[in-house]
Amino acid sequence: MSTLAQHLLNGLMQGTIYGIVAMGFTIFFGVMNVIKFSHGDVLALGAFGSLSAVLSLQPLGLPPALQLLAAFAAAILLSGAIGALIARTLIMPLREAPPLNMLLMTMMVGTVLREGIRLFYPGGTNPQRYPELLPHGGFSVANVFVRYDGLILVFAGIASIALVHWVITRTRLGLAIRAVAEDSEVAQTMGIDFAKIIPVTFALGSLTAGFAGVLFGLYYSEINYGMGLLLAIIGFSAAIVGGLGNIWGAILGGYLFAGLQTLVVAAIPSLSDYKNVVAFVVVIMLMTWRPTGLLGEGESARV
Amino acid sequence: MRSGSKAMRSISAGPVLVAVIVCAVVVTTLVRIEDQKLLVVELAAIVIATLLAMKFGIADKVETSARHHPWIGRASIIVATLAVLSVLREDTFGLLMLATVLLYVTTCIGVTIQMGYAGLTNFSAAAFVGTGAYTAALLDARHLLPDPLILLSGGLVAVAIGSLLLLPVLRTRGHYAALITLAFGVMFNVFLDASDSLGGPQGLKVGGINLLGWDFSNDLHLFGYEFSFYVNYVLLASVVASLAMVLAAILDKSWIGIWLDAVRLDETTSAVFGLNIGRWKILAFTIGNFLAGISGAIYAKMAGFIAPNNFTLSDSLIIVSIVILGGIGNRWGVPPAALIVILLPEKLQFIQEYRLLLYAALVIGILVARPGGFLERRTRRFDLATT
Amino acid sequence: MMRVERKRTAHAIGCAGVISSALLLAGGASAKDTVKIAFVTPLTGALSPHGIGGRNSAETAVKVMNADPNTKYNYELVVLDDECKPNVAVQVVTKIAADRSIVAAVPHYCSTAAIATVEIFHRFKLPMVVWAAVLPDITYAQKFPEIHRVSGTLIGQNRVGAKFMKEQGYKTFVSFADSTDYGKSMNKYFTQFTQENGNNILGTFSVPPDQQDVSAELTKIKELNPQVIYFGGLTPLGARVRTQMDKLSIKAQFEGNSGVMGEAFINAVGPQLAEGALAFLDSPPLNKMPGGKMFMDAYKAAGYKEDPEVYGPFAYAATRLVMETIEKVGPDRAKITDALGNVKDAQSILGPITFDDHGQNITPLTTKYVVQDGKWVVWEDSEYASGNRKLVNLP
Repeated sequence: MSTLAQHLLNGLMQGTIYGIVAMGFTIFFGVMNVIKFSHGDVLALGAFGSLSAVLSLQPLGLPPALQLLAAFAAAILLSGAIGALIARTLIMPLREAPPLNMLLMTMMVGTVLREGIRLFYPGGTNPQRYPELLPHGGFSVANVFVRYDGLILVFAGIASIALVHWVITRTRLGLAIRAVAEDSEVAQTMGIDFAKIIPVTFALGSLTAGFAGVLFGLYYSEINYGMGLLLAIIGFSAAIVGGLGNIWGAILGGYLFAGLQTLVVAAIPSLSDYKNVVAFVVVIMLMTWRPTGLLGEGESARV
Repeated sequence: MRSGSKAMRSISAGPVLVAVIVCAVVVTTLVRIEDQKLLVVELAAIVIATLLAMKFGIADKVETSARHHPWIGRASIIVATLAVLSVLREDTFGLLMLATVLLYVTTCIGVTIQMGYAGLTNFSAAAFVGTGAYTAALLDARHLLPDPLILLSGGLVAVAIGSLLLLPVLRTRGHYAALITLAFGVMFNVFLDASDSLGGPQGLKVGGINLLGWDFSNDLHLFGYEFSFYVNYVLLASVVASLAMVLAAILDKSWIGIWLDAVRLDETTSAVFGLNIGRWKILAFTIGNFLAGISGAIYAKMAGFIAPNNFTLSDSLIIVSIVILGGIGNRWGVPPAALIVILLPEKLQFIQEYRLLLYAALVIGILVARPGGFLERRTRRFDLATT
Repeated sequence: MMRVERKRTAHAIGCAGVISSALLLAGGASAKDTVKIAFVTPLTGALSPHGIGGRNSAETAVKVMNADPNTKYNYELVVLDDECKPNVAVQVVTKIAADRSIVAAVPHYCSTAAIATVEIFHRFKLPMVVWAAVLPDITYAQKFPEIHRVSGTLIGQNRVGAKFMKEQGYKTFVSFADSTDYGKSMNKYFTQFTQENGNNILGTFSVPPDQQDVSAELTKIKELNPQVIYFGGLTPLGARVRTQMDKLSIKAQFEGNSGVMGEAFINAVGPQLAEGALAFLDSPPLNKMPGGKMFMDAYKAAGYKEDPEVYGPFAYAATRLVMETIEKVGPDRAKITDALGNVKDAQSILGPITFDDHGQNITPLTTKYVVQDGKWVVWEDSEYASGNRKLVNLP
């Protein structure tokens, strides 16, 4: 039983990261009907940016708390900026194009980012060690070992989700975003500056990705240039399972995916690599059963 | 609509013959040249020549000529292929590259049928190639079937695996359908990596092809010349690729092609008019997977070794890139695009490292500037009887 | 996908030939033909520190040889990247094997790459001397005259390791290996020798080498509570296991293998976590090698910043051996293959090299290492041996 609880704890962290990524996908879809597949690679970019920031500050001997701050700041700024840039230069001009083109283009953008990290970051092909900036160790409760850094990271992740949710539902910016997501033409006639809101929305979603990238690095003490790809696919799956456009659905999808992985891993720990196989099979089955997601859009085009 | 008027000046076969010869020379030189500077010069020349050709309507002349003399066109392609092979007979690695390009052409024609004709997004093409490859590897290890059947099985197993996806693919649209093929591709890769009985990350060794007693691993000795054994594979791959092109042509020019177009362009309207969308999508998906599977089986036997790393999402994306670059839905765009995407990085060593980056950037450029690809698909012409 | 190589055209070689002969004529010597040898190594990817160290060492050997005016030939090293992936290795090796101008090869750090390419070397009759890959099957699963190896097989290190652990007083183990042939072989011999020594293996785990998250396996291992976790795999996975062991607060002695020996592992986990890790390598330590100092001096003189890593000396020795063979019999693949088959007590920086009937070098001895203060130290010289520091889980 305690092993199961241990597995669950391990899975909690994963679920939080998936949820954050999924939330980004869902926001982008909601506001522009676009699946921005480069989201995962923007996360990786943020992670690498934060690593550079921390490594360049290390000789100065600053306390870990300040390094942590620098790491998050670098990641958030970098990811947010790139996300907004991609929106402004590539997504907005092509919004009338067929969805396949848009999906393909964002996948290629993701590839460009990923290869860029691999080629231009020193030693980019290798996994990079991520410094340990959070308190070490943990405590045991009923034979289950709880990591301090794990706890902090899960709370931070949930806090970021809550923050984004608050922005979307309680601020004027959020109102504007929701209006554009609902009906962009009417929103524009009501005076919302479409050309400004879109990049801002993408910046918002992307900076959460950067944040998640730092969480990932702190948790595994390792980042590599390909980390974004699988995260993007999982995040995309989670967002879809939860229903595109639905933030709570995305988060639910994220934890669901992690939960599936945990189940597989708890059942057969020596074959833990199958966890993704099983999880994806379940996702595909879910989508067959409910083609527009669990808490879906409810769109219907049957003839 | 009447068929084309017979009272026209006769269309010469010249343009198509010249075009074939030029292509043969280009392919041969691209494979043979090692000097980087010379290669860049040649590539620049090709690009300029192509642009000029498009501007001055030379491409149209070639096309008309080809249409009016189909058998001369086909014969010349066969002769040119044999000629190229004779020139390259001892260039072992060059032949291997050509064979690989031809196999990619086969797979990409399959994907063209799926994406270009029926409008089905398929981000897992490499997984189906991999299915064919692993089928060949496993059947080969157990010596259960003769090689021709093994190759066929590669295609059939790919179809069988693909049929698992049929229901999800049919029930979903747009992004959701894309996700399904995406998830499947990743899942396939993880499964191969994790499963010991399929060799795991270490991969599997595969025997060569032995077609009706003719062992492909023997060098050929013809007319006093020695031909590296890879010639066998190039010939086989050429035949398969040609058959794929012919298949695509038949589909495109038939009733089925018209229905696929309708389904691709507007599903709802097609359904309203009584088309069984499901059936045609299934057909396209199945044919595409069959081609991918066969090319995978041939690849496995030719390379003698396969591993999960050969069939990743990146490989699927490369396949999709080729299809888009060449002009989505235009089967004639596939061979040049495949040549560019597969052959060039091998030859231009200074871009080897950067090739994924460059392709991605190129595809982005195409999607932004010329979404139809280099050789855009022409609107269907209903007034031509001789097609 | 197909991979990188650096090749000069006949044109450039002609130029180089003319220029070098002009230079040499000034010194009164005659022009030398250039002979091409291929070196295959993981230049990119997670194993690149080892791959680059090997390449630098091989290039050093070539430089030293070419600086000698009395050699018959001028040597050119054609370096190729196998990315430590079997399918890339196959493509790269097919390329060099089909290239008639390359007369011999010194391939592979990664056993997974080597075991995949053995047949290609045989089919195209390209003689080769493996510089690092330790999987026994590479030389022993078949008897191909083209295949040779200067590094030891992993059998020796596991035999010595098992005995050592028994002597230290350890009784319970868990084996964590990767799922490639390399990991499987490591696990096989570890299990065999550990059990022969009367010790107990509580569980065996196997994961693909690039699996990111091993917390599931480690959680199970924590439940089993072994004294020692034996790791059979390469540095990237080993670093992850060690790091995540610490995150889950698993207290066990980390017993590594030759795959985690080297700077790369210590850099990856940090000196604190690396402290006390054990490993076994089939080679005398650098300062006890007959040519160790000469090698390090030549390496530094050649100006390389990167560490040659543990198998650098092997790369040097293998390349040197190939060149010396070519000096004797000329640049002909068949003749080189024959000559390599008769290597007996050949002098090298590692000591005498003798190939058995399978082309395997039979002389290396196994050295035990432990990480102390961020460096790999020979066990006998360490504070652990003298009793000033203690390994984990010992009374």
